[in-house]
Amino acid sequence: MTLEAGELHERDHEGFLSEVHSFEFWFQSVEGYLHGHPHGVSPSTPFPELAPDRRAALVATLSTYCVGELTALEGASGMIGFAPNRATKIFLATQVADEARHLEVLLHRLAELGVEDAEAGFEARANRHLMAFRERLLAYVVEKDWLAALFAQNVILEAMEFAAFQTHLRTADARTAELLGGVLKDERRHIGFGENALGRHLASHPDDRRRLREVRQSLEPLVFATFEDAALQVGLPAAERPEIARLYLDSVARLGLGT
Amino acid sequence: MLDARTAYSIQYWLESCPQGYLLHTEFGHERGAREPGFVLENPVVREEAIGTTVQLVVGERAALAASSGLINAAPDAASKAFLATQTLDEARHVEIFTQRLFDLGVKRDELESTIAHHANPHLVRFAEILLEKVDKKDFVAGVVGQNIVLEGLAFSTFEMMQAANRDTNPKFARTLSGTIADERRHVGFGENRIGSLLREQPGKKPEIERMQKDMAYHMLATLADRFRGQSAAMQEARRAIEEQASHGGPTPRSHVWHGTDLSKAEPREMEAVLAETVLKEFKTRLARIGLDYQSPERP
Amino acid sequence: MREPLLASADFDPAEDAGARDGAARSERRRFVLLDDTGFDEVPAKYRRFYRRWRGPGDVLAENEVLCPVCRVVIRSARELRPGDRVYCMPCMSRLEVVRGEAGRLEAIVRY
Repeated sequence: MTLEAGELHERDHEGFLSEVHSFEFWFQSVEGYLHGHPHGVSPSTPFPELAPDRRAALVATLSTYCVGELTALEGASGMIGFAPNRATKIFLATQVADEARHLEVLLHRLAELGVEDAEAGFEARANRHLMAFRERLLAYVVEKDWLAALFAQNVILEAMEFAAFQTHLRTADARTAELLGGVLKDERRHIGFGENALGRHLASHPDDRRRLREVRQSLEPLVFATFEDAALQVGLPAAERPEIARLYLDSVARLGLGT
Repeated sequence: MLDARTAYSIQYWLESCPQGYLLHTEFGHERGAREPGFVLENPVVREEAIGTTVQLVVGERAALAASSGLINAAPDAASKAFLATQTLDEARHVEIFTQRLFDLGVKRDELESTIAHHANPHLVRFAEILLEKVDKKDFVAGVVGQNIVLEGLAFSTFEMMQAANRDTNPKFARTLSGTIADERRHVGFGENRIGSLLREQPGKKPEIERMQKDMAYHMLATLADRFRGQSAAMQEARRAIEEQASHGGPTPRSHVWHGTDLSKAEPREMEAVLAETVLKEFKTRLARIGLDYQSPERP
Repeated sequence: MREPLLASADFDPAEDAGARDGAARSERRRFVLLDDTGFDEVPAKYRRFYRRWRGPGDVLAENEVLCPVCRVVIRSARELRPGDRVYCMPCMSRLEVVRGEAGRLEAIVRY
């Protein structure tokens, strides 16, 4: 059902969800910021000269992002098979395309930075805590554990990426910043979908909070270690580091999954 | 020249599909287009249209599950990226054909029961055979089943339906032409990517050929059920079209598809021409990737 | 689009709670949302309902509230009051407007 723009906030919830989970909504949304931006960057954005140490740090950071996006691509695609309904499957399909695009634009940026065969080497350069997180998330997907996979993928991983990219934007060169800005716009949908889908579920199945708290506790050391490393890598001052995890912690608190 | 890495990329897909032939469409057709009166107002024709559309939804749901399930089994980033675009294509197909069910008057809370009622059991089994391979993360068998067998069936079926609806139901014909454009990419990927992988893994051929034979049997059985059971509805649709034309509606012209005039052919003739076309395509495509087509029993 | 209830022949608007607070609603300030806010993450027809948040120093107007999930500013064509429901399309959340501890309007998620 297509909503009338003039009455947006007065629509019924079901009609709203039906529209925002659709291909049509996704297509018209991404059109606004992807058109004319091949590989996520305007053709007129200059190629900055980077000092060797800054370039090396950027290559390492982008490689970690690649692992995050590959994990999200594999996670979201694997979840379609056991997603609970049609609208969720269609939303996840749009997320799959988003994640594949993110991986593609990051690999393209690595190639611009002179990395040969970026695809072959990014896992070796990536953060080891994130690699461990990936293994855990994909295990939930293999087990077809919908709640745990959705929580790990669309709440934890997406919040981690959102926070990292938003922080990195402040210090990044123009091309990297523009690329990350476009990725962030996609992440907003993914984070919102995860929190809202879980929130709706927990409203009718409050007992499942116990299980999700266990998932949270088992993954959190990896999440915070990744946050810490990312903050160091992008040069975030120590005083600002707690902020990087704020988005994730706020989301967990809203869902009633705090300690 | 377009290399595989570029052709399988999200960027290429964005420029050719959403920013190309889908631009200015909604649910795959022109904005505001409606199903014609002879479909909405004639209960027999409407029921037949619902039955046919349900088969499309069932097929596309299987394709969505298969293409998304194969991403984790794909051996390289380019294949993962292509399958990501295919996943979204298939999700779009599920959405537009589901929307057609709503346009035909199916109530939202009756969607699943309508699908369960009309879904052909052979088509369901056809999908299950494919999804068994996907569940086992068998990339080569999965892509042959999905991008050559299932997509090959969809490609020819959509082409025939598009030709038959061009004059009398432009909304549905436009929806189909967008899906045909998508299927072209999917069958192309199937042939090009799997051809090279099969050369590396020749031992997989017998198992894949067995899968193709089973899938082909259930495909033929689906077509037989659909066409043989719809004779009365088809005649009623033709009568309704003539009646609409006599009141100033679009005049149906003859559309010859693979030698058969779709505006006049009997259901058995249509079944035969579709089955022959699909099987011929299978044989050609399978031969190109080094597989021998296995003839199924005739249902 | 008409409210389904209003299409019903036996519907009495005088008995409807929504109609009862219609008078209060009409007293609210109205806002024209025709400006292009530069927000490009939702379909064009909905873009006027959102704008980017400019950080802690950003002052929200009477018709604006911040989405706690994705930190985008949501805009309404009328002055917002506690109890109002708004949608954040960029993150697909349904929110309720509440009065926060600091006395400002805030939004909480209603899953």
